Amino acid sequence: MLRAIGLTKTFGAQTALDRLDLDIRPGEIYCLLGANGAGKTTTINLFLNFIAPSAGEVQIDGIDVTRDPVATKQHVAYIPEQVMLYGVLSGLENLDYFSSLALGKRLPRERLLQLMDEVSLDAGAAHKRVSAYSKGMRQKIWIAVALAKQAKAYLLDEPTSGLDPQAASEFSSLLKRASEGGVAVLTTTHDLFHAKQTATRIGIMKKGRLVESLDSAQIGQTDLQALYLQHMRD
Amino acid sequence: MIALIARKDLLERGRDGRLYWAGSVVLVLLFIALAVGYGRQSEVRAEQKAAQALDYKDWLSQDQRHPHDAAHQGMHAFKPEAALAIVDPGITPYIGGTLWLQAHRQSEVKFRPAQDATGLQRFGDLSVGWIMQVLGPLLVIVLGFNAFAAERENGILRQTLSLGVSPLQLLWGKALALAASLAALLTPAALAAAVVVTLGADAGEGLDALQRFAALALGYALYLAIFIFLALGVSAASSTSRVALTVLLALWIGNAVIAPRVMSELSRHWHPSPTKLEFSKALSAGLKSEADRAWQMAFGTTERWGRDVPLNKWGYALQLDDQTGYAVYDRLYGQLWDTYERQQALQAWSGLVLPVLAVRAFSMGMAGTDFVHHRDFTTAAETHRRTIQDIMSRDLVANADPLGNQHFAYQAGPELWSQVKPFDYHPPAAIWALRRSLMSLSILGGSLLLTLAFAYAAVVRQRAL
Ligand SMILES: Nc1ncnc2c1ncn2[C@@H]1O[C@H](COP(=O)(O)OP(=O)(O)OP(=O)(O)O)[C@@H](O)[C@H]1O
Ligand SMILES: [Mg+2]
Repeated sequence: MLRAIGLTKTFGAQTALDRLDLDIRPGEIYCLLGANGAGKTTTINLFLNFIAPSAGEVQIDGIDVTRDPVATKQHVAYIPEQVMLYGVLSGLENLDYFSSLALGKRLPRERLLQLMDEVSLDAGAAHKRVSAYSKGMRQKIWIAVALAKQAKAYLLDEPTSGLDPQAASEFSSLLKRASEGGVAVLTTTHDLFHAKQTATRIGIMKKGRLVESLDSAQIGQTDLQALYLQHMRD
Repeated sequence: MIALIARKDLLERGRDGRLYWAGSVVLVLLFIALAVGYGRQSEVRAEQKAAQALDYKDWLSQDQRHPHDAAHQGMHAFKPEAALAIVDPGITPYIGGTLWLQAHRQSEVKFRPAQDATGLQRFGDLSVGWIMQVLGPLLVIVLGFNAFAAERENGILRQTLSLGVSPLQLLWGKALALAASLAALLTPAALAAAVVVTLGADAGEGLDALQRFAALALGYALYLAIFIFLALGVSAASSTSRVALTVLLALWIGNAVIAPRVMSELSRHWHPSPTKLEFSKALSAGLKSEADRAWQMAFGTTERWGRDVPLNKWGYALQLDDQTGYAVYDRLYGQLWDTYERQQALQAWSGLVLPVLAVRAFSMGMAGTDFVHHRDFTTAAETHRRTIQDIMSRDLVANADPLGNQHFAYQAGPELWSQVKPFDYHPPAAIWALRRSLMSLSILGGSLLLTLAFAYAAVVRQRAL
C-alpha cells in the first residue's frame, strides 16, 4: 500500500534520506524512530509529494506519487506534527470544511458531531473558535478529518506529540482499530513506549538511513530501548 | 469543490476586519465621488443649456447688417457634458467645452495631451473612474495577497493539499470568493451610479446612458478580475505573504502611477504630434497655397481683397476663400487628430501588461469623455460653422454682388439669421461608442487571459511547504 523504493532525498550537499526501502501492507502500522534530523519528516513529505525525490520512487496503492499527486492523495490521510486550522472558524466549521474537501461533499451535521465525539471533543468545544483551542484540540479536529476521509493509508508525523497521555492512548487504540480495518499506517515518533504499544513493525533511522527494521512482537520494551540507544551511540 | 472552497473563504473573510475597513473606505469614496460628480454635472449642464440658448438668441436678434459681419459674430457651440461624465470625466477637465463658430477659421481644439494624466496627480478631481482604476486593484491586493502565501507559511496549505484537493481547484475557489466579496461591496455602488447616471441624462437619453454604464461596468469587472488572478498568482509564487504584498504593491505602483506617465511620453515619442506653433505654421502655409491657386484661377492674382477683385465679386470671393479652406482644415486637423488617436491607441495596447491603460481608454470611451467623442463634437461644430458661412456667402452672392459698387450697402435682416438653425448636438449612441472601444475591451480580455495563465502556472508549481 505504502511503498518506497531506493528513495533518496538530498538538500544541496546534505543527504536527508538515503536509499530507503519500505513496503507497508494494509493492516500494518509501521513506526519510524530516529533522532532529530534523521529524515522521518522528509520521508512523510516525499510520500505526499510535497518535495520531489532526488532518486528512487514512492508509490501509494501502486501509483507513483509524482505521476498523479492529486489521485494518490485521495487514498491517504495525513496528520502533521503541528495541526493548523482556521482560527476565526469554529472547530465544527473547520471539520465541516476540511471533511468536505476530502470527500467532495459536505457531511450532515449529525455525522460531524459524531466525528467530534469520536475524538472526544464535546459540543462546547465544537462551537468555539479554533483560535481558542489548545494544540491537542486542533490535533483532534484533524484526526476527525482523517476519520471522515476513511482513507486506505495514514501518514502520521509525530501525531501524539501534543496530546496528553490519555488522548495519546485513545489515539493509539484508534489507530489499532483502523489498521484492523485494513488501513496501512506509516507513523513517526520519539516515543519508544508508544511505538512498542501501537506498531506492528518498527524502523530505526539514523542520518537518513534505515538502520534497523523489526517486528514489534519480536522485541520487548527494554530491548527496544537498548537497541535504539545503541544505534544512536554508534 | 470550488464552491466549498469559496464558501469557506467568504465565511472567513466575513469574520476578518480587512474586508470591512478596506471595503468601507472604497465605498465611502465611491459615494462621495458620485455625489460630487452629480452635483457638478447638473450645474454644468444647466449652464451649458442656458448659454447655448442665449447665444442663439443673440444671433437671431442681430440688427440689419451686412451678412459677412454676422458671419464674423458667428455663434458658439457648447459641448453638452456626457451623462457618464459623473462616473468618468475622462479628458473633460483638459479641454475647452466651447467652440467659437466664426468666419474664416476653424476653431482650435484645446487638447492638452490629456488622456495621459491619471496617476496620483488626478487625486484632486476624485471620480468613480479614478477610484476604480487606482484604488480598485489596491482593494483586491489587500484582500488577496495572502491567499496562498499565508496558508503556506502556517502549514494549512499542505494539510489542504494532503486531502487530495487540486491546486487549481483552490485557485478557482479563492478567485470566486474574492469576486463575490468585491461584488457584494461594489454592487450597491454600481446600482446607485446607474440610477444617478440615468437620472442625470437628458430626456430620451436615459436608456443610452444605462447601456453605456452597463458596458463600462463590464470593463471594470474584467479589470478587477485581472487583479484577482494577479494577486492569487503572486501569492502562490511567493514564499511568504510579506513577499507577496511587496511584489503586488510594486506592481500596483507601476501600473497606477508610473505606467500612465511613461506610456504617454513614449506614445508621443513614437507618434509625434506637432507643437502648436508648428501646426499653425503648417495650417497658414496650406491655406495660403490653396487660396493662391484658387484666386489665381478666379481673379488672375494671388493678392487678397485687392483692386483685382471687383466689388461685384466680393460675395463670390468670400465663398471661394471659405471653401478652399475647408479641404485644408479637413486634411491638417484630420492628420493631427489621427496622430492623437494613434497615441491613445498605443497607450491602450500597452494595457495588455499595464491594464490601467486599457481600462482607462475603455472607461472614457464608454463614458463618452474620450478624444474620439470630442472629435465627433468638434466635427459637428465645424459642420455647423460651415453652414453659417455658406448661408451668409450665398446670400451675398445672390443679393449684394448684383449691387456692384454698392455691395457694402447691402444689409440682411432676421429672415436670413433665422435660416441658420440652432446648434443642436447629440453625442453618438452607446453602440457607436462600444464599436469604437472594442479594441480596448479586447485588450482587457487579453490581459485577463495573460494573468490567468500566469496564475495557473504559479499555482500548479507552487511549493506546499
Ligand atoms: N527544506 C529543507 N532544506 C534543507 N534541508 C532540509 C530541509 N528539510 C529537511 N532538511 C534536512 O534534512 C534532514 C532530515 O530532516 P527531517 O525533518 O526529515 O528530520 P526528522 O527526522 O523529521 O527530525 P525531527 O525529529 O526533528 O522532526 C535534516 O538534517 C534537515 O536539516
Ligand atoms: Mg520531523
